Amino acid sequence: MASAGNLKKGEFIRYQGDIWQVQKTEFYSPGKGSALMRTKIRNIKTGKNIDYTFKSQESVETVEVSSNEMQYLYKDNENAYFMDNQTFQQYEVPLSVIGDMVHFFKEGEVMYVYLYEEKALNIRPPSVVRLKIQETEEAVKGDTVSGARKVAVLETGAKVQVPLFVKTGDMITVNPETGEYGERAN
Amino acid sequence: MKIKAHGDHFENHKQYLSVIRTIEAYLDSNGYQRLMLPVLSPALIPESYLEIFETTFTYLKKSEHLYLTPSPELFIKRLIAEGVGDCYYLGPSFRNAEPNSPKHMPEFTMLELYGIGKDYMFIADEVLSMLQRIAKKLYSSSHITYAGTKVDFSRWEKMTVAQAFERYAGITPEQLFNTNLFCETAKAKRYVTDAFSYEDLWSQMYAQEVEPHLGMNGHATLLYDYPVQFATLSKPNDDGVTAQRFEFYIAGVEIGNCYSELTDWKLQEQRLKEEQQLRKKHGLITHPSDDGFIDALKKGMPACSGIAIGVERLAMVMLDLPSIEDLQVISVV
Repeated sequence: MASAGNLKKGEFIRYQGDIWQVQKTEFYSPGKGSALMRTKIRNIKTGKNIDYTFKSQESVETVEVSSNEMQYLYKDNENAYFMDNQTFQQYEVPLSVIGDMVHFFKEGEVMYVYLYEEKALNIRPPSVVRLKIQETEEAVKGDTVSGARKVAVLETGAKVQVPLFVKTGDMITVNPETGEYGERAN
Repeated sequence: MKIKAHGDHFENHKQYLSVIRTIEAYLDSNGYQRLMLPVLSPALIPESYLEIFETTFTYLKKSEHLYLTPSPELFIKRLIAEGVGDCYYLGPSFRNAEPNSPKHMPEFTMLELYGIGKDYMFIADEVLSMLQRIAKKLYSSSHITYAGTKVDFSRWEKMTVAQAFERYAGITPEQLFNTNLFCETAKAKRYVTDAFSYEDLWSQMYAQEVEPHLGMNGHATLLYDYPVQFATLSKPNDDGVTAQRFEFYIAGVEIGNCYSELTDWKLQEQRLKEEQQLRKKHGLITHPSDDGFIDALKKGMPACSGIAIGVERLAMVMLDLPSIEDLQVISVV
């Protein structure tokens, strides 16, 4: 159990019978009555997000999870599949739970997956992934506006905004949670 | 906390100052006297759920506790009793024990505005004219767009607290004003009710079910007549359950809080004692309760109404920025 006021992004809680992952928190004191904790939580079965406001002093049942290193194998229309590097056991996570960042993972990408009672709840997103640029336009010579960006298609098919000097075939880093370009990593 | 310099906020900062100048020009031309006031005080008006900043003045071997004012109200009420007339303060205020967020910082700029011989609905009209003036100055228009929501300031969307609870939370006035019945209803709605007060549950249900709708229907929402438990410093209505307080919201963001001020010193003294007791119970910093504020009421403070507006929040919304930090050239976060 934890006070709702101490909840942190990424934690898992049990709320009204289901397991949810905390996506966002905002502490808020309305000036009368106890301080509140506004949260956005994601149901790990359905992937549905809801906004819920807890009293900051309210007890919330936290779910103790383990995290194992796994390899991303592939995805189908519903799930992404992972393999535990130690036990070779396979796990699935609904795409609706992982969200858009799955488009930044290539097969074989290694990351941690949260497990609870032998079921995979969600991945712990890597802070950056390294991906190859499959296609991007050549920069127009003389275009030196600082901060100018163009679209690049990555080897996974996902699109990102990159600086003009990035070329087809370059390796770059991307934050999979935000889809933002990090740096060139040839 | 750290000091951050924001070279990329200069443009926003200029716009922010333009909002401030528009507010000042509006109030100055409508006969409100600006007041420059201290932010350090040896005593405060006790508020049961608000934590303060305490500091120490030392001279030779003597020392004295001083407190950063969470609102200039204690000073302004004295001046109203002295006959200052319609007036305002625009400057720093301080609230402790709440982390930085896109809508809050411990040090913030407050506009506190008082109309003498006026009630809360007069102030509502005055504020609406001021919002119109700001929108006109920035966009030559009667409306703004905040985070994709269009808000037109040609009129308020006015709603009582009871109407809002009925519309958005399915709570009848009978359930809303009967503390036991309200707690039972909250329990039936699967809120955690054990060991929590009416005020706690009310605030939670308000934040969860009512607040997300406010200021979202094309106009700024004026939510008025709060249960007396939520209006310590305001004038009670004849219905016995509500008091003359309103809050206003623009696109889901709470911007200001207004009271028809309580002028009955006996009732006020009793309420402040209760607030002081609650502060002790909540483990908040103990500070001397300001007697001069009660003396000002005893002296015969005229009927008046005052509003407090978070100026950074107002500017953030008016300029369509996601965080109050976006207005600042230096932030301490």
